[in-house]
Amino acid sequence: MIQTVTKIISAMDNSITYKVVFQDNSTIYVPHDTDNRHYQEILEWVAEGNTITDNGGGE
Amino acid sequence: MALSKIPAAAFSSDPGVNFRNIIINGDMSIAQRGTSFTGQTSGGYYNDRFKTGISGLGTWTISQVTDAPTGQGLVKSQKFDCTTADASPSAGDFLTYLQAIEGQNIQMLKKGTANAESLTLSFWVKSNKTGTYISRLYDVDNQRVISKSYTISSASTWEKKTLTFAGDTSGTLDNDNGYSFAVEWCLGAGTNYTSGTLNTSWNSKTDADQFVGQVNLADSTSNEWYITGVQLEVGTSASDFEFLPYDVNLGRCQRYYFEEGNNAQGFVAGAFNVSDSPFRYTFLKPMRAAPSGSIGGSVNTDLKLYSAGSDKTLNNVGFSAITTHGARVDIYAPGQFTDGQTGHFYLLNNTGKFKFDAEL
Repeated sequence: MIQTVTKIISAMDNSITYKVVFQDNSTIYVPHDTDNRHYQEILEWVAEGNTITDNGGGE
Repeated sequence: MALSKIPAAAFSSDPGVNFRNIIINGDMSIAQRGTSFTGQTSGGYYNDRFKTGISGLGTWTISQVTDAPTGQGLVKSQKFDCTTADASPSAGDFLTYLQAIEGQNIQMLKKGTANAESLTLSFWVKSNKTGTYISRLYDVDNQRVISKSYTISSASTWEKKTLTFAGDTSGTLDNDNGYSFAVEWCLGAGTNYTSGTLNTSWNSKTDADQFVGQVNLADSTSNEWYITGVQLEVGTSASDFEFLPYDVNLGRCQRYYFEEGNNAQGFVAGAFNVSDSPFRYTFLKPMRAAPSGSIGGSVNTDLKLYSAGSDKTLNNVGFSAITTHGARVDIYAPGQFTDGQTGHFYLLNNTGKFKFDAEL
C-alpha cells in the first residue's frame, strides 16, 4: 500500500521520477511511464483521492 | 551411395527446445529476489515471473525449495506453507498464484479469430490438502476467462496435472509489451468467487463463476502446496517439459526484474554541483518497460562513495531518467563535492544492491 508519492523533477534534465514510499517504509523510484506497474498504482492511488507532493525540482 | 533425400526416420520425434513453453521459469529454478519469505499476507513476486495474490486469506511462508518430483529432471519448486490459518474466508478473500504474459508473446494463439488455438497447461503439484483446485486462463485485454478444475488425489505426493483449454474465437490480444494474458492457480477464495457455476468455456468474466469448488488451502497451519514443471503450450496435448539452459532462463527473467549486487565496484560518479554526484547505469539487457528502481541495504553502510581521500556521508541514493536500457543513479550528499569532482561508488556486504522491476 502506497503511503506517500513525491514528484521529482530533475534539475539536470527536467526528467520526471516519482519517489514512492510504501506503508512498510520501503522506497522505490518510478518512471513517468504508463507501462510501469508502479506508475499504474500511482494513478489508481491518485484516483482514490490521494495527492502527489511536488518537490518543484531537485532532490 | 549418397541419399537423395533424408528419410523421415532420420528425424527425432523429440520436439527439442523451440520455446514452445509460453511460461517463463516454469521449472522454478530462478529466484533473484530470494528463496524464502515469511509472514506474507499481501502477496508479491517470489520465484521469478510468478506473482502471488493474497487478500485476507491466511499468512504464508513462500519459498523456493528443492522438493521436486523424482525422475523428471526438475530440481526446484515453489512452496506455500500456511503459518496463520483462516478456516472461514470472508466473501472477498482469495489466494492465487499466476504468471502474467505480454500480448506480443502470444500472438500465435490467434485469439479472437476463427483459427484460435487450443492451449494445454501441464504442471506438477503436491499438497497434503487433497480435493478440488481451480486453474484459469485470463484474457486481461478483453476481460474474458475460462476455468478448469483438477483434483489432488493423494496427500503429499507429486502428481502431474494436464488441463486443455479450447481456443477463444472472441477478443483479440494487444500486440505489445503490456499485460494481456495470465495463467492462474487458485488456492482458496471466498464466496464472491465461488458462489456461481464454474465457468468452463470462454466467457466475459463473472467473479462468482471463477473458482467454484476450490478447497481452502488456508484452513490449517498444517497445509502446504508445491508447484513446478509448469508448461503452457499451443495444442491439445502436453509435451515433455521444455528445459532451457540456466543462462537462457535467467536472461528471460531479467527482462522483468534483476538485481546488481555481489559487491560490485567501479562505478564512476561525477559531481554536477556541490551536492549531486550522479552516474549512468546501463542494464544487463533491455527491460520490458522502464522499470522502477530501488536499493538494497543501507546508504553509507552497504552503498558508499569514495572521493578525494574519504568516503562521503551520503543523504540518499535514488534513481531518475529511467528508460528500458538504463537509469541515472543519483547520489545526494549536500555540500560535499566540488563541481566536476569524481568519485568511486561501490556496493558491499552482499546486501548493497540496485533492484530494477519491470514486471507486468
